[in-house]
Amino acid sequence: MKIKRLFQKTLFGIIAVFGLIGLSTSILAVRTVNDHLSDEYISNSQNIAKTIADSSVDILLNRDLATLQSLIDQFLGIQGIKYIYITNESGEYMAHTFVPGIPEEILAGDPQNTETVNRSLPGIGDCVEVGSPILAGVAGTVHVGMDRGLINLKIQRAIGQQAWLIGVAFIIGVGAAIWFVNLAANPIGQVLAYAATLAGSTTQPVASGEEVLARKDEAGDLARLFQFFARPASERGDAAPDASPQDKAPS
Amino acid sequence: MVTRRALVGSGIAAGAATPWLGLRASPAAAGGTGVTDDEIVLGMSAAFSGPSRGLGIELYRGATAYFKEANGQGGVNGRRVALKIYDDGYQPDPCVKNTMTLMLEDQVFLLFGYVGTPTVTRVLPMLKKFQDRSMFLFFPFTGAQPQREPPYGAFAFNLRASYAQETGGLVDNFVNIGRRRIAVFYQADAYGRSGWAGVRAALRRHGETIAGEATYRRGSKFTSVMRRQVEILKKADPQAVICIGAYAACGAFARDAVDLGLRVPIANLSFVGSENMLKLLTEGRPPEESARYTDLLVNSQVVPSYEDTSIPVVTEYRELMARHDPVPPAELVTEDYTPFPHSFVSLEGFLDAKLMVEVLRRLGDNPSREGLEAAVFTVRDVDLGLGERVSFAPDRRQGLERVYYTVVEEGRFVLLDDWQSRFSLGV
Repeated sequence: MKIKRLFQKTLFGIIAVFGLIGLSTSILAVRTVNDHLSDEYISNSQNIAKTIADSSVDILLNRDLATLQSLIDQFLGIQGIKYIYITNESGEYMAHTFVPGIPEEILAGDPQNTETVNRSLPGIGDCVEVGSPILAGVAGTVHVGMDRGLINLKIQRAIGQQAWLIGVAFIIGVGAAIWFVNLAANPIGQVLAYAATLAGSTTQPVASGEEVLARKDEAGDLARLFQFFARPASERGDAAPDASPQDKAPS
Repeated sequence: MVTRRALVGSGIAAGAATPWLGLRASPAAAGGTGVTDDEIVLGMSAAFSGPSRGLGIELYRGATAYFKEANGQGGVNGRRVALKIYDDGYQPDPCVKNTMTLMLEDQVFLLFGYVGTPTVTRVLPMLKKFQDRSMFLFFPFTGAQPQREPPYGAFAFNLRASYAQETGGLVDNFVNIGRRRIAVFYQADAYGRSGWAGVRAALRRHGETIAGEATYRRGSKFTSVMRRQVEILKKADPQAVICIGAYAACGAFARDAVDLGLRVPIANLSFVGSENMLKLLTEGRPPEESARYTDLLVNSQVVPSYEDTSIPVVTEYRELMARHDPVPPAELVTEDYTPFPHSFVSLEGFLDAKLMVEVLRRLGDNPSREGLEAAVFTVRDVDLGLGERVSFAPDRRQGLERVYYTVVEEGRFVLLDDWQSRFSLGV
């Protein structure tokens, strides 16, 4: 489908504006999804850490560490939890789920910190670590590392869905724009061909102009004007052919 | 040597020939109490598959040797002892499921011979939940603390010494010969943590802390590479390593430690399954190479050497193992396994069964779960033929206290009598 030169810039303009809107919408959506999922994820992680912290009080104070380990091992089965470790009030690691050992980065950190931290651990991957104090911190701290990859995967999925939707809308929009542009450009082409025939051009195909002369729109008016001016002056009479009624200026 | 095929085959034969065997126990006949006119049904969930299957199989073999003998002599007050057995592969979730089945569907009389800490620690809350049924766990194959302490200690009876006693003894002996920097290699679960806690507590008594630690995942095989664990521990420059694990992983660690130049004593707890570990480390190797992998091993045991026939119960055990040569039901043994004629684990199972029968006898002609606890508390200074007497009381729910230490000599585990000459720093 050949697009008339007159409308090419218009079409590209439409595509550019559409692309810009799509891109800005996607960026906004990605940021919103990222923030929303991250907040939700961190909130869930904090709830898990708090649950373990609440459950650990009695075990840490009254019972043995095997029970504590058994408790955190059960939580490790929850999707997204990469690791859990519990430190006592002295910062000693009382139970953890690391294999083959506690990563250096964690050993070097503050075991009583309960702030949310982003970690990239060898053999484990990118994690968001949240902490929760046990008995207001006097009995220790629970730390839960959540898989950042899982959040990224969800974000990628959301972006993918968004991109798919925008892509489909873009293709439909561009197709529609081309179709409409051509719809508008076709009569102009007919006028052009008719004008060229009247001018005796040999490069344009001969056009009878019947179709365009019969049109009731601006293209028809223009064709009739060309027809009028193509007649010898003696045959023109006094008045040019009427323009369409809607185009007449108010008197 | 009995191969798997032979083991499976003889299992079928034994099942057909001896209708008392566990899988034939009928819950309907038990009438909801696990006791009929001619049978007392005990429930067992243990590892019969996976890398730790040797533990469940050997424990079963030892226990069954005694139960068969007791049944052959008329049973307990006229009733045969039957075992209803399930495989949990040493995994907590299947163990919980098996226990639910044993308690609610099979309605066994009591639970007996469970294997492992991660499994047992998950079962204990169930016993508390169903305490109105007076369901007790007898003689689990674990030395962990949860079944020895409140709030679950009241639902279990232990025969063996605890991991705290085993690790405490190992630490004391190492420290006594000047090896104060002790590292721990342990299974990343409740069992490993239990042993880790024992080592930590024992070192504290000596004013020391754990020099270094590395973990492995439960279910690791002998083919697993433990290079990273060895490297982590080497950095700590330990003078001894205490392993809290099962035979496949601990064997892999010992192998890689030797290969990577970590030449320090490597201690293992009784749960490891010493014979299986030794087999993995020596099978297919020339004697000199085998010695290189095993000469620094020291394994703690909670039963005496099965080679020491001066101990009456060892003689009895060897005789009954030879007479009955028990094999687990074919349905449970789906992987290769060659049983050992004798092992520390099967000897422990044998002792468990012997004391179990004694407790059941004390229940009299009308055994009930409600009477079990009282019957156990009548066990005072009972001699199982071990030299160490067994007693139970409301504040004493563990029968034996003694820990034995063994080393490898000429391809077998023998008692270690001189730590200094074997493991002193100059050696």
